[in-house]
Order: sequence, then structure tokens, then C-alpha cells
Amino acid sequence: MIDNPFGQEIFPNIQSKPYLAQLEAISSCPITCYLEEETDSHLATTSFQVVCINNINFQRKSVVGYVELTIFPTVANLNRIKLNSKQCRIYRVRVNDLEAAFIYNDPTLEVCHHESKQRNLNYFSNAYAAAVSAVDPDAGNGELCIKVPSELWKHVDELKVLKVHINFSLDQPKGGLHFVVPNMEGSMAERGAHVFSCGYQNSTRFWFPCVDSYSELCTWKLEYTVDAAMVAVSNGDLVETVYTHDMRKKTFHYMLTIPTAASNISLAIGPFEILVDPYMHEVTHFCLPQLLPLLKHTTSYLHEVFEFYEEILTCRYPYSCFKTVFIDEAYVEVAAYASMSIFSTNLLHSAMIIDETPLTRRCLAQALAQQFFGCFISRMSWSDEWVLKGISGYIYGLWMKKTFGVNEYRHWIKQELDQIVAYELKTGGVLLHPIFGGGKEKDNPASHLHFSIKHPHTLSWEYYTMFQCKAHLVMRLIENRISMEFMLQVFNKLLSLASTASSQKFQSHMWSQMLVSTSGFLKSISNVSGKDIQPLIKQWVDQSGVVKFYGSFAFNRKRNVLELEIKQDYTSPGTQKYVGPLKVTVQELDGSFNHTLQIEENSLKHDIPCHSKSRRNKKKKIPLMNGEEVDMDLSAMDADSPLLWIRIDPDMSVLRKVEFEQSDFMWQYQLRYERDVVAQEEAILALEKFPTPASRLALTDILEQEQCFYRVRMLACFCLAKIANSMVSTWTGPPAMKSLFTRMFCCKTCPNIVKTNNFMNFQSYFLQKTMPVAMALLRDVHNLCPKEVLMFILDLIKYNDNRKNKFSDNYYRAELIDALANSVTPAVSVNNEVRTLDNLNPDVRLILEEITRFLNMEKLLPSYRHTITVSCLKAIRVLQKNGHVPSDPALFKSYAEYGHFVDVRIAALEAVVDYTKVDRSYEELQWLLTMVQNDPVPYIRHKILDMLTKNPPFTKNMESPLCNEALVDQLWKLMNSGTSHDWRLRCGAVDLYFTLFGLSRPSCLPLPELGLVLNLKEKKAVLNPTIIPESVANNQEPVNSTSNHGQSVGFQNTEDDHLIKETASSISGHQQGVKRKADMPLGSPLEPGQILEKNEDSKVKLKIRFSNSQEEEEIDMDTVHDSQAFIYHHLNMLERPSTPGKEQSSGEMNMHPVLAAPLSVFAKESNSSKHSDHHHHHHHEHKKKKKKHKHKHKHKHKHDNKEKEKDPFAFSNSPASARSIRSPSLSD
Amino acid sequence: MRTAPYGSKMADTASGSSGTRSGSKHATTPADNYYLARRRTLQVVVSSLLTEAGFESAEKAAVETLTEMLQSYISEIGRSAKSYCEHTARTQPTLSDIVVTLVEMGFNVETLPAYAKRSQRMVITAPPVTNQPVTPKALTAGQNKPHPSHIPGHFPEFPDPHTYIKTPTYREPVSDYQVLREKAASQRRDVERALTRFMAKTGETQSLFKDDVSTFPLIAARPFTVPYLTALLPSELEMQQMEETDSSEQDDQTDTENLPLHMSTDDSGPEKENTSVLQQNSSLSGSRNGEENVIDNPYLRPVKKPKIRRKK
Repeated sequence: MIDNPFGQEIFPNIQSKPYLAQLEAISSCPITCYLEEETDSHLATTSFQVVCINNINFQRKSVVGYVELTIFPTVANLNRIKLNSKQCRIYRVRVNDLEAAFIYNDPTLEVCHHESKQRNLNYFSNAYAAAVSAVDPDAGNGELCIKVPSELWKHVDELKVLKVHINFSLDQPKGGLHFVVPNMEGSMAERGAHVFSCGYQNSTRFWFPCVDSYSELCTWKLEYTVDAAMVAVSNGDLVETVYTHDMRKKTFHYMLTIPTAASNISLAIGPFEILVDPYMHEVTHFCLPQLLPLLKHTTSYLHEVFEFYEEILTCRYPYSCFKTVFIDEAYVEVAAYASMSIFSTNLLHSAMIIDETPLTRRCLAQALAQQFFGCFISRMSWSDEWVLKGISGYIYGLWMKKTFGVNEYRHWIKQELDQIVAYELKTGGVLLHPIFGGGKEKDNPASHLHFSIKHPHTLSWEYYTMFQCKAHLVMRLIENRISMEFMLQVFNKLLSLASTASSQKFQSHMWSQMLVSTSGFLKSISNVSGKDIQPLIKQWVDQSGVVKFYGSFAFNRKRNVLELEIKQDYTSPGTQKYVGPLKVTVQELDGSFNHTLQIEENSLKHDIPCHSKSRRNKKKKIPLMNGEEVDMDLSAMDADSPLLWIRIDPDMSVLRKVEFEQSDFMWQYQLRYERDVVAQEEAILALEKFPTPASRLALTDILEQEQCFYRVRMLACFCLAKIANSMVSTWTGPPAMKSLFTRMFCCKTCPNIVKTNNFMNFQSYFLQKTMPVAMALLRDVHNLCPKEVLMFILDLIKYNDNRKNKFSDNYYRAELIDALANSVTPAVSVNNEVRTLDNLNPDVRLILEEITRFLNMEKLLPSYRHTITVSCLKAIRVLQKNGHVPSDPALFKSYAEYGHFVDVRIAALEAVVDYTKVDRSYEELQWLLTMVQNDPVPYIRHKILDMLTKNPPFTKNMESPLCNEALVDQLWKLMNSGTSHDWRLRCGAVDLYFTLFGLSRPSCLPLPELGLVLNLKEKKAVLNPTIIPESVANNQEPVNSTSNHGQSVGFQNTEDDHLIKETASSISGHQQGVKRKADMPLGSPLEPGQILEKNEDSKVKLKIRFSNSQEEEEIDMDTVHDSQAFIYHHLNMLERPSTPGKEQSSGEMNMHPVLAAPLSVFAKESNSSKHSDHHHHHHHEHKKKKKKHKHKHKHKHKHDNKEKEKDPFAFSNSPASARSIRSPSLSD
Repeated sequence: MRTAPYGSKMADTASGSSGTRSGSKHATTPADNYYLARRRTLQVVVSSLLTEAGFESAEKAAVETLTEMLQSYISEIGRSAKSYCEHTARTQPTLSDIVVTLVEMGFNVETLPAYAKRSQRMVITAPPVTNQPVTPKALTAGQNKPHPSHIPGHFPEFPDPHTYIKTPTYREPVSDYQVLREKAASQRRDVERALTRFMAKTGETQSLFKDDVSTFPLIAARPFTVPYLTALLPSELEMQQMEETDSSEQDDQTDTENLPLHMSTDDSGPEKENTSVLQQNSSLSGSRNGEENVIDNPYLRPVKKPKIRRKK
């Protein structure tokens, strides 16, 4: 059976055999990994790895292959090798051609083993972090543990090379490799079937065994045998392509001689069309069939990005070739790997598309920046990630500045800054460089978060996005400090060191130059620039939070001094105190002056002397910051003050939010005359609060000014709409922007007809798109959209004529539909009548007519990326929400199905999510959750959770019929075991769970039995305050529970009050409790530190559950010592010589009695100390249970890896269950 | 005997041809009648010649064939004579034209007078004079202008006046921009609405109102097997538009854009071919394309034949 399973395509079912159950149990427990950390980390380094995939079956979605790692032991007596591997079936492992025993255990498959009733997110997050640590390659751990055959021990002691050969297969992978197989006639190539690697962070272990770490570099030989009609694209140089003997397949041989981390290895196989870049022949682009013309256009710009980066970094692109692959159903839009990038096919566009072009170019530039920093230069550890993300983001920003101009760049920086500030203030801080001392959660710098930031795999996706955003902003701050020139020198230094190292033969210390660490980076900064940036690093990198300034001022006429007061809020979550320089720019009549203030601990007031006397001299040109001199109408000014406007931190050199107070005319001057787009945008936002004719005029002037940055003008549109609404009673003239639009875009002779489209001028194109959308937000005194505006928009749609246009108008039309949707106001409903056609508002009828026609036309002449369908769906949802059309998710559900374009699906799903929230539909929520579990597209699964989190059907403090026990169970299961194949998805599920239920036990869960006991005691006992509101809120539940729990009450009464107090904070499901009693009277599943357990004499004992994480952590640490003996025993067993093969390993599996021996000691001990010391007692109980579950768990593994939870009875009789541990034979 | 094709060209020697056919169809037009009469006459001629030669009866097919041959012969004489006369820049054939023709056709002209005056010849009565078929005037609009005095009379007449005279119509064509735009817009809208309604009527629909399916019928959403193709590729209409606008309005852009465009098309030749080689699993090795490759890119290189040991 073992001989050669690879000759055939069948998969012999030998999966379970090699599992060494006992050891699996060990490493599933976080304790062991701490133990091993001391001994196992960096025992060996890989220098070279071969990956050979010799069969890919698209029909079955399976992969067969082998890997061969060349490993140098760095210490003598290396007897185990740990590798990462998930999902893969390992058939056979050979070390230097000798069969080797191996154990496969993945604790992240199921985070909390056993059917836990705890449902506490704090507990889950800790367990999840521990599980991820337990397989963290940076700590020398892994899912796959290979025992070096004893014959080789001598060999190892001489530190000679080991070759580890692993045969594996992958069947229907749920993560890591994604198969796209369209369901139609024809061969796989004709159908456009393809497969590609994907995943969040280091996810290579999902598709082949490796050391899945960014810091473990080696060189690679990659071989893929694929159908002759397919192309396999992978990292490094394609050495040759060879037909197989039957000529039906060919093998692609790749060599990657630059040391690369396994996590940067990727693969894409499909019937790709090949385009060699006409400017750089070493760059090759790949796309799916029929898309070649789009590919040509899309990539025609890439060479300029190459030139730009090579120029600023004064360094050649490190790899000898570069490949871009555009695939369908992408995991992320851009994924960068060594010498290749995988993009979403939806980035491709033709020359007719305006809006997508800059977006796609940005993606290309981003991918390329990551080639230098991220792929070529890798990171030392997770806490150094920010350096790479920061540098790649920073040079990408430089590219943006060069390509799209300074305005766009500054706008982008402002946008990113606003985003990170908003996020940090919301969630409480993003930490770039987490340092974990002591391993105690107490020191956790991110205790405000509901997830651990120790590992990338436990991070919320949104947090990681913000993390990247902050990283590049901080790089920019460093640049501000040391100048761009030095900054680029530092990058160049890093790159040249790395490229020198990369050409060396295997010497691990040399290759480590290719890894960047925070300290190394900082050292090169200080070497190159000679400047000390430590305070900056401490403030923004070692510490989380942003700064929140409140500024106000007074002008002291006598002293001619500006008295500026700057306050800080550093107590709210997500904020920190800032001490240091702060730039303030004051525009006076005589010019613009910069002042650098020192922000100190206690001083709030800063006196700034003014240069100009208040306005005596009448007409005079006023010099601006950029040297320009302009005439201003100064009549609006305060006659006593020479101040035009004041800006705090104009260069955005602090990560801050500034709320600054100055009078409306100052904002207006700032908007009109300040040349910085950021200042203009700030002024526009501030003017929303000043609905006056002067503001209106300032905004209209900006709108008309063609030199003004188009984004500022777009923003002004929306502000104008808001101001107009605030001024509705005094507004004169036509609706805001109407005459402006007419003047700019309509025919001279007939002002109600828009000119035929000509989008050659992009600035006016964007304005033309935006203005109707903003106009539709106008409301009259009845809070309705003015009829005039609606008719105007309808006319725009009617007269839209794109025949003479060089560009597609799909985005324009889509925005016109958005405008229609914006004009919708809530329906006036009489007596809650049912929405029918007859009582349809005539305006709405017109809108609906357009939407119907647009949506139908899309079926016949689809627009690019179906933008119009997307807008139509959104508009229909708006009509439903406002009560014009009956609320019904059926339409959206049909558009959300697999087979529609992804943008359409997302829009439809968003509508369903919204429906779920508004109509509190349990059915739709279930439908969505089913899709999260089953949809073929990972991005959709992720996105549904994301949308549910952003627009939750209910939140933790809300009463909702949706919030019930089944939902808690379902979500818990989803994050506990249902999403083990996708880190991102699991974190998404955690986020959703957090949004819905919060950190502690969900309030909708029935009260724990103890709480009920208290109820029955007629509230004589001390009730835990956290329970009271819940028991009141769920008033139907106590009724249930009293009847259900009559029996258990008696036992609980025996416990003392002290115990009750402690337990009361924990809430365990009484209903589950009942069920469990019925289902499994014995051996009920338990989890550490919690709930009740039955003795043989069916007496109920209480266990204390520790509700806060610190206590749990303590337990873990205590257990370390206690279980040492136990584990040691195990390790000894492993070291025993064994004959290779599965038979042996299965033999090893049946050693419970031996294993249980130390356990029984504990059992005794704990029994004896049961009544003396509660805490002690519980610690031990806890430990015991852990071990019990280890046993239990491995049995499950043996039988069925994935569906453990489905048959709770299967193991209740197993000798390792909780029941048997207490059996007399063992405890004797 | 060679059989002549039945549906042959008509033997109208004088006017060359007019577009009428001698089909199996019943002749109704005057031209057809005229043609039939001539044909009948020829038949009579053939019959009399046969009688002269001593035949008492003949099969209809034989007579037809001979008629056909005669007709062809006469037609050829006419055609050829016309050529000769036109060759000498005349419009009317003269006797010499006929003579030359006959000579050219290998006919001994000398024998003709004798034959014509032979004694036993049969005289056929002239066919009844039917009214000349009037060639229908294509379009008579107004009176043809007489030649002005400076134009000699032999020049052709002026063409019909409608070919060069501007006739004012009663309604001014709409040139008002506003009306045009309105018309175009409503026309397009009507077409779109009709089309979508038709599609909605004939296919599955979805509805926004439970009680009403017809007022706002939505064509049902149908999943695609390959959704990205329709979403990304420009529709044919758009492609067509793009070509139109490209050629007409892109003058200032051509300079900058043509260069890369040109280059990429240059490259696409060998690439395309190689791609197809890579993809088609063609049994031919790619060596044929080798010489065309200017670019050295590993993906364009031919796939190697397996070595004997190379088996994986």
C-alpha cells in the first residue's frame, strides 16, 4: 500500500493511520509549545526545497505531489523535525530514504475542543492565539512532526544534511489553493478552469508541507505537471517545459535561486493567454482566455512603474523575471509573491473605461512595491511586519505623488490619516510593533481588542488593513524627520545588503540579511541619517493610539498676539498624549507664517506674535504661503484682527485628529485662498456648520474654479447640498448647483438638454458625475426632494447620449441612478397600508420606470463590471427601505447567487444584510450564514461576514428576536471549527461574534443553572449584578428553567455561597445542560475551568469557571509545571526507536494506560484536596479535564477529522473519556 | 448532336440585351412577347430550311436545337458587328462591319449572294407587325431639356431632370438641435422599452410588487457560467463605437498612442502563434516558430520532447 500511491490517481485511505494520537493531544495544548520553544526553535534550517506537483485534477479538485526539504541540523541530537502542513494528506515521509514516523496534529482545526457551552469570546480568543502559537513556525512549531529515524541519529550528530521527502495529496482544498471550474461543456482548458494559491499572510502550508514562515529562507525547485493545454505559473525562472511521454501533459520546471520564504511561494495554473511585455521582455502577463486585449491595455503601463521604483531605489528589480497573473474569484485584489503577483481578473479594463484605470494602476504599483519589500526582503518576525508594509506603502505613495500629482497624494494621505484615526478612536489603537514580554496576557498591549495581535492569523481583517495604513503613514513621519533623501538611502542599503546576501551560497547568517527587523531598520536609519528617531518610534510604533487635538484661539489686540489654546484628549480609548513640536501656520494680512510650538505636558496656551497690524492699509495684495499674491475681498473680516486663517499641523506630521475652532469667514478664506487641498477639504467640512450665504458663495466659487482640484470640487458639491438644506427657508434662486451644471454641461441653446457626452476632460467628467448625486440630496421645506431636481435628473438620463464619446458612460449612468436613489424620501404611509402599485407615488413611479429599464437593458447590453446593475440594486433597496416598494429580499437573493459578477453579488448581499437588520429576519440571516459556510468564492464568504459586522442585525446591547441560543451556537461553531481553512474568515467570524454578543457570554443564552438556583432561593442569596438585568430581560426563561431544573437545585444548594458568588458571573446554558443530561449521562464534554460535571453517583458538583482571562492564564501557567512530567513521558516515547511505517504509528497510538498513569496521580491528588482549597482544587480539575479532552480529541481525529461535532455519542464510551478516567481501575 | 442549352440568352442583335429573361415563366411583358414572336419566326425559318433540305418531319427537340443554334449564330453576328462598328467609333453598323464579321467567323461571304438567290428557296411571309415593345421609361420626371445652341445635336440628350434638378419638398427637415435631441432620446427610449418589455414578456421575470407583474417587469437574473467575461469585455456595440470614435476624433491622441499600439501588434504575431502552440497541445513541435521569435521569453520557448529518463 505504501509502495507507490502516486502512480494512480486514487487516494488510498491511509489518512488516519499515521496520526499519533497521544502526541497530537499534547501539541493541541498551548502548554507544550512553551516547553518546546526552549528546545525546538531553530534546531535546523532548510536550505533548499523541492516542490513537485505531478497531478492536478480539476474535476476532482485534487492535487498530488511531493516535497523534498534539504535540512541542516544546527544542533546535535536533533530527533524531530517540525513542519507546517494543513489540509494535506501525508502519505509517507522519508528522511534520507529511510521511512520516518510522523504525527500530524492541527490544533487550529477546532479551537476549543469539545462541545463547550461557555461561548465566551475572551476565552475563545485566548484559545485561538494559543492554538496558532502551537503551530507557529517562528517558534519552531508545526502541525507535522517528523521523527528522525534512529539510524540517522549519528548522522545528525555530525550535523550532516538531512533530506526529508514527503508525499502528500490535497483533496478539495477549502483554503490555500482555490479551484475555479466553470460548470459547462468542454475540456477544462476550454472552460477556463484554473487554480491558484491564495490566503492571508503565511498560508502556504495549506497546499504543501513546508516551514511556513516569512523568516525561513531557502532556494526552490518547483515542478508542476499539468495538462498540455494549461500553463503553470510559479516563482522564479521557468527553466524548461517538457512533455510527458504520452504528450498529453507537460511539466513546468521552475528554479528560484534567490532565497525565499515558503510563504512567498505561489502557483497559478490555467489555460492562460500569454503576453510578453513589449517594453520588458522578462515580464510576462497572463490572463484567462478571451481577455488578451484587455490585458494588453491594462499592463501597457506597468513598465513605467518599474522604471520609477528602480530609479528611486537606485536598485534593479531583484528577480530576473516578473509575472502577473489575472485570475477569477480572487482572494484579494492584489497578492504579491516572489517574482510574481496574482491579481483579480476584474482589474482588467479596456481603454474606454475611465474610473477603473487609476485603480488598476494603483494595484499594479502596490504589487510591485511589495516585490521589493515583502517578497525579496522578508521579515524577521511578525512584529517587524510594519517595516515592510510601511516601506512598500511609502514608496507606493511616492509613486502616487509622481503619477497623479501632489494634490492626489496629499488627498490620499489625508484620507488614510482620517481612516486610521477613526478606526483607532473606535477600537482603541493599532500597535505597529507589538512586543510580548513574559507571555502573560496581562502584559498584552492590545487588551482592548477582542482578538490577539500576537499572530497575523488572529487579527481582524479590518485591523490589519488599518495596520498597513498606519505603517506607511509612520514611514512618512520618519521621512519628515530625516528627509526623503536619507530615507531612500536607507532603502537602498537594505536592498543592496539583501541582494549581496541573496547571491551567496547557503549560509544562514548571510541570508538573514534578507530579513528586515525593526531594530535593523532603525539602525540603518541612524547610520545613514545620523539622527535619533527613537522618540518618534516610541510614540507611533511601540505605542498605539492617535492624538486628538482641540484648538481654539483668541486675538489679543493690545499685544497683537494670537493666543492659541491647544488641548488634548488622551484619556479616551485609542488616544495617546503627544509631547513635542507642532507646526502651526497662520495666514495674516501680511503673509503666511509658520510657527513651531512645543506641546508640553501642562501648557495649553501658546502665544504667537502677529506680524501684521490689523487692517489699516486698505487695498493690498496678500501674499500666500506659496509666494502667490492675491487680491482678496476683506470686507468679511473682523476689522480688528489681521488673521485670515490658522492651520494646526498642516503637514500632517502627527497622526492626529484636529478639531479647530475659527469663525466662518476664516474657513471661507481658507477655502478660497489656501492652496493646499487638505486645507480646502478641511474648510469644506467645517463650513457645513455655517449655513450662510457667504458659505454658499465660497462653495459655488470653488465649484466653478477649474484650476481647483477636482476632488475638492466634488466634496464642495455635497457640502453645498447640506448647506442648501439648512438654509432651505431662505434659499433664493434655482436649486443649488442646477444653474452651474447647466452652464457647464448643457447646451447653450437649450439649457434643459445635456450635451452629448465627451469625457476627454477627466476633471469635468468627475464633476459631471458627482453633481447630480449631490443635487439629489437637496430637500425642500417638506423635506422632499424638489420636483425640479428630480425632473432635471430624469432629463439627464433621458438625454444622455454617448454615441460620440470615446469613453464608456457606464459609471456616469450608474451615478445617475445613485442620484435617483438619493432623491427618494420616506413614503407617507396612511394607516400602514400595504404597498401596492395603486398607491405608488407618481415620482417614485418615474424613478422605478428608469430603474426597471436600466436593469433590463443590462441584461441585453451589460455594462463594464455591471456598474449599472449594482446601482439599480442599491436603488431598489432604498425604495424598499423608504416604504415605496414592499420590502422583499427575493430579488436580491437571486442576484446574490453564485454565477453573477462579484460586484453584483456584493451589492445584492449588502441589500440582504440590510434587510436582515431592518426586518429582523431570522430566515435571511440563516441564508447568509449558510452562504458564509458554503459559497465557492472565499471573497464573498469574507465579505458577508464583513458586511454583517458593519451593519449588524443587532448588537450586544440590543434586544432582538434574532438573538437566540441557536445563533450563538451556530456562530460559535463557525469560528471554532467551521472556518479553520481560512484565517481571514475565522477572524471575520470572530469580529461578527464580537459585534453581536460582545466579549463575555452572550446575553441571549439562558442563565446558568446557578443563576436559576438563586432565583429559586427567592433572591435571598447574593445575586451577581451581571445576571439580574438579563434575568429580567429574558423573563420567559426563568419560567422555563424552573420547571427544567427542579432536580439540580438540590445539589446546588449544597455548595457554599462563596462558590456561588464566583460562579455567578459565569453563565452556562441550562437548556444545554438538560439536553446533555438526556443525551450523554456520562462523559459529558467539558472544557477547562467550567461548569458542572457528574459523579458516578450522579451527584452534581460545581466547578468554578473563571470569567476573566487573567485567571485563566494563570491556570495555564500552573499547569505547565504539573503536566511536565506527563509530556516528558511522551517525548521519551517518541524518541524510542520505531520501525517506520503506519503500522508502527498506529501501534503507538494505543498506549492509553501508560499515558494515563501520571494522570491518575493528579486525579488522586485533586480528590484529596477537593474540599480544602477551592482554587487549588479547581486548577487541578481544570488540568485533568484538559487532558481528558486531549484523549478524547485524538480519538475523534482518528475517525473523522472534520466532523467531530456531529456525533457526540461516538466517543462517550471511549476509554479516554472523562468517565473512564475516574474509573476505579485507573485511579487505583 | 450537341444539345443547346434551353434557357439561352435572347437573340436580340440590335439592342444587345435588356434585362428580361426567357424563363419558364409565362411571358407577360411586351418585351417577352416580342421575343417569343421572333423566336417563332426563327422556328418557321428553321422548319422551312428543313423542308427545303428534304425533311418531312422533325422532332420538336431537334427543331428547337437548330433554332437555338441559328439564334446563337445570328446573335454572334450581331454582337460582333456591333463591336466592329463601335471600334471605329460609330454607333450604326454598316455593311462592311457585317462582312468583316462574317469573314472573321469563317463564313465564305462570296457564296452568300448565290445562296440568297437560289431557286428553291421558300419565301416566308413577314411576321405580323406587333407593336414595338416600349422600353418602359425608368422615371419620367419633367421634360428633358433641349440642347442649348452651343452643343451639337449629336450629343446625347440631357438626362432626366430629376437627376440634376433640386425639387423642394414641402416640409423642412428638422434641423433644430433641441427637437433632434428630443427625438433621438425618445426614440431610443421607446426602442429600449419595447425591447426590454418583449424580453420580459418572453422570458422569466421578477417583480417588485407581489400583486403586479406587468407594470415593472424585471427580466429575471440569470447566473452566468463565466460571469467575468460579460462584465469585463466591452459589448460589440461599444467596440463598434470605439472604432468609430477612434478613427474620427482621436487625431491628437494618435501620435502618442500609436507607437505603443504599433509595437504591441508587432509583437503579438509570434506571441499569438506561440500561445496557441502552447495551448493547443499541437503535435507539431514549436520549432517552426522558433525563427520568428525575437523575444527570448521562457514562456514562448517550445515545449521540449520528453527524454527517455526524464519520466516523472
